[in-house]
Amino acid sequence: MTTPLLERPPGREGPATAPRPGRRRVRTGRAALFVIMLGVAVVMLYPFWVMIFDSLKTEAQFLAGKGFSLGSWKALNSVIPVGQQVLSSTIICCASIIVIVLIGLPAGFAFSKLRFRTSTLIFLVIVSAMMVPLQAILMPEFVNITKLGLTSGYFGAVIVYAALGTPFSVFLFTTYFRGVPDELIEAGIVDGLGYFGVLWRLVVPIAVPAIATVTVLQFIQIWDDLLVGLLFIQNTSQRPITVGLAVLSAGRTTSIPELMAGSFISALPAMLVYLGFQRYLVKGLTMGIDR
Amino acid sequence: MAEITFDGVTKIFGDDVRAVDDLTLHVADGEFMVLVGPSGCGKTTALRMLAGLEEITSGTLSIGGTIVNDVLPKDRDVAMVFQNYALYPHMSVAQNMGFALKVRHESKDEIARKVGEAAAILRLTDYLDRRPKALSGGQRQRVAMGRAIVRSPQAFLMDEPLSNLDAQLRVEMRLEIARIQRLLGVATVYVTHDQIEAMTMGDRVAVMRGGQLQQVDTPQDLYDHPANEFVAGFMGSPPMNLLRGGLENGADGAVVVLGAQRLAVPPRYNASHDLGLGGAVVVGIRPEDVEVLSGAEVAGSITTRVERREALGAEILVHLSLLDAEGTSAFVVNDAGAVVTRPSTLVAKMGPRAEVRVGDTLRVRFNPERFHFFAADSGVSLRQA
Repeated sequence: MTTPLLERPPGREGPATAPRPGRRRVRTGRAALFVIMLGVAVVMLYPFWVMIFDSLKTEAQFLAGKGFSLGSWKALNSVIPVGQQVLSSTIICCASIIVIVLIGLPAGFAFSKLRFRTSTLIFLVIVSAMMVPLQAILMPEFVNITKLGLTSGYFGAVIVYAALGTPFSVFLFTTYFRGVPDELIEAGIVDGLGYFGVLWRLVVPIAVPAIATVTVLQFIQIWDDLLVGLLFIQNTSQRPITVGLAVLSAGRTTSIPELMAGSFISALPAMLVYLGFQRYLVKGLTMGIDR
Repeated sequence: MAEITFDGVTKIFGDDVRAVDDLTLHVADGEFMVLVGPSGCGKTTALRMLAGLEEITSGTLSIGGTIVNDVLPKDRDVAMVFQNYALYPHMSVAQNMGFALKVRHESKDEIARKVGEAAAILRLTDYLDRRPKALSGGQRQRVAMGRAIVRSPQAFLMDEPLSNLDAQLRVEMRLEIARIQRLLGVATVYVTHDQIEAMTMGDRVAVMRGGQLQQVDTPQDLYDHPANEFVAGFMGSPPMNLLRGGLENGADGAVVVLGAQRLAVPPRYNASHDLGLGGAVVVGIRPEDVEVLSGAEVAGSITTRVERREALGAEILVHLSLLDAEGTSAFVVNDAGAVVTRPSTLVAKMGPRAEVRVGDTLRVRFNPERFHFFAADSGVSLRQA
């Protein structure tokens, strides 16, 4: 008599078919987590839904609470120069982030990999600048930038944003580079590179998650900021979108659907940047911490 | 290709941490020199000074006859293999291997040719397009070697390159590295804490301890004629047995008194060693030179008790205590200041089928041709050159 190859040994069928208590507990936990995350997602996405829903109405349809139209979208550009303001926001954001990254990268590399006197003290002083709120230094900065005559273009705002964002980037890059093995740097040096060569050809390519993290977080912060744009860009044709929307909402007759359309346009780039870089975010924020 | 010379090289970290102390060492052209010693002995610091990654506090270091104390690492023309390989994670194997050549602005064809040749030597041809993370530990190690080879440097510097590999792969790779080094004939300084690597790979081995060079010699001479207690205890596994005793003049010549037991010293040692009767001495005997006797008491043997038994398959290691006059165990007194941990027992090797149990009383005899004598206070060998 032969035993079938696939025959299950006796006594093992029961446990194989009935779910074990531990597995059931895991499933219940996951279901609860899913419900909580769904709730959080609804809370986060509801404003976007309101923005889109209300922007697809005319003022009359909005007040009546029924009907849809693209009228507010068509009228938006005649109310505020949306294209120009989005362009201004983009220029300010990109220029500021370039400065922040270009300063933060070598500074972080130096603080994490080079040994020099007082490096810890200087690092702490720079990082402590993260604790200073914008409002506390706004007036002195405004006075200085005005005295330098830099409020007519983008330059003044870019300087202020770069000054505000650089301490964070220095902190993040330093933390990130501490996780990069010293031997990698030394291998580059023995292979014939100087410190700038090591930074540019070896460190920057593996610092993409950190660069992405700084870019996303600073982009969101700068793009959404109103105060600096309002104060440091005096030329109305160079206003960023946040200032444009503030002006729109402060008008005597504010069209809510047009404001919603403008707000959606304003929110969209930050969302796209976040979605584009989000896979690097966690790695960029956590590398170096677990060491 | 070139020779390397450390001449009184010292490295002091901070104000008083003397990592390397007055190191004088010559590595001939094409020679495979192994720096070995326990953690913190200064071997890696010596290598890093050679690579230019650490500044030299005093002394001179020359490569190919040129003093390189103030020469930048990139201008020293040395290639280094690191402990964790330090492969560039964003580059392929071919790019990793050719990177130093690219930095030197060599032509693409030349880089491809050299990388191809090195890959063939290292059996990496099929992996040239892979990233390091897609390779096994042994393959990564070979890429690190390849990165050094393509440069055709004056010297190879290797900092414990096998310590991250498993035991089997380590055996394979140490043969591989030795093969490649002999093939290329480039002066190599290899740092390890593993004395088996040192014994099997090096043309000569330099043993370091506490920043100081203890002895430099061929592996076999180092094993047969250790310059001091430290080298005797560090080289060899299990390490040499070191027994403290008193040296006395007996009826038939010198004897070493080990507790209640007396061990006759063969007369030939009087000529080859500066024994100086009447003082304390450390007698060294390798485990393979301890013969376990069966049957009646034999002249020149001592009585021991089995304290521990380690069956290794091919052999059994027995850890023995010496018995005193009352028949109670007395453990071997070791050098308390030694960095190397040594057993407090006498270790002997027995055949794999030997019938021996813990608690058994064994008589053992030391091979009279294989005694080592060291000064009890300084640990220096009493052997006259």
